[in-house]
Amino acid sequence: MRTRQLRRFVADLLRGRRTRRFAADADEEAYVRTAIELRSAAGDRPSEEFVDALRKRLSAAMEDESAEPVRLTTGRRRFVQAAGMVAGVAAGSAAVGAAAGFTLGQQETLADQGDTLQPNDGQWRTVAASAELPDGGVKPFDLGTVLGFVQRTDGKLRAVSGVCTHLGCRLVLDLPHRQLNCPCHRAAFSVGGQVLRHQLPTQLPPLPRLAVREIDGAIQVFAPHA
Amino acid sequence: MVTGPPRLRVVGDDVYPDWETIYRENVDRVYRLMFAKVGNRPDAEDLTEEVFLAALRPLRMSASVGEVRAYLLTVARTVLAGYWRRTLGRPVTTLDTEQIEDVFEPARPNGVASARAEMILAALPPRYRQVLELRFLRAYTLKEAAAELGVTVGNVKVLQHRALRQAAVVAEGMRP
Repeated sequence: MRTRQLRRFVADLLRGRRTRRFAADADEEAYVRTAIELRSAAGDRPSEEFVDALRKRLSAAMEDESAEPVRLTTGRRRFVQAAGMVAGVAAGSAAVGAAAGFTLGQQETLADQGDTLQPNDGQWRTVAASAELPDGGVKPFDLGTVLGFVQRTDGKLRAVSGVCTHLGCRLVLDLPHRQLNCPCHRAAFSVGGQVLRHQLPTQLPPLPRLAVREIDGAIQVFAPHA
Repeated sequence: MVTGPPRLRVVGDDVYPDWETIYRENVDRVYRLMFAKVGNRPDAEDLTEEVFLAALRPLRMSASVGEVRAYLLTVARTVLAGYWRRTLGRPVTTLDTEQIEDVFEPARPNGVASARAEMILAALPPRYRQVLELRFLRAYTLKEAAAELGVTVGNVKVLQHRALRQAAVVAEGMRP
């Protein structure tokens, strides 16, 4: 345990300064966590100056239409691009949400299981060649504005969203078991989108379907413009 | 065919009218959450800013209040994980996004955290408990703590370090 770095960390904490970097080991992690726990026990509230200044910065950022959307990733868990994550969360709770470039009307509310997301400002976009998806096959795709899985069963195509309907984590294909696993909270869906299991206290909706077709040797999904 | 900028719509539960309302009604909670996880004001402010900058642009939509909160919390978890990866290389503190209602209930004193702090302190020898109470909970300076304890400033530093090491052992034993 490196005493000097830990003491510096705690001194910064107690003086209300930004803490400085160092590569901590497990013992040091526990030490730091406890210091934070004790230090933050009384709680704190943001200053009015900070709240006001941040509102102004956000206002400027929101008006900057040219800025790139933010991509969120972590080492342990992968999240879809932020806009897609919102779409997943919104769609998942039977309310209608949409990522940028993609609008849903009230008549398309996802109240029923298995409803199909149908952007009214989108296009058919190829996700695989027909030959890449034999009967019984499953194939993931990521079109940027939407991601999901397409499957062919008994000759019929089906495409579902690849975003967990709980908090929007990106699903992972478990091909041997023909299921889609959420890495965040151990939920699992069938490749057709039905909920197989979860440990959440609330009902978990099935995955929204995506409109899919096969034309000229290509499998296409109707999706928002790139 | 829809023309003009994309519009986003939601039906069902309560919704926020605009991003400023989302910000105004959640900034206090996000800040308090981050402060509880990093323990200092400048870092808590940086992380709060990072959360809203990352979250609000794609949130230009009328998602329900619950969905917005769930989304903010998911972004906050990601932001916090990135902060620890950058600073100490380990996930020192994490956010449980399944406790959305706890996090977003009306502002109140940090009761759970202080109760846990009291439990940790209660398990320590009196001298250790005393120095941590003075320094962490009552914000005494080293000099003030030295005067209160009747020792030198150097002794307070040593005592505090040993007390924290012991407290960490206790705290780890109390973790679920």
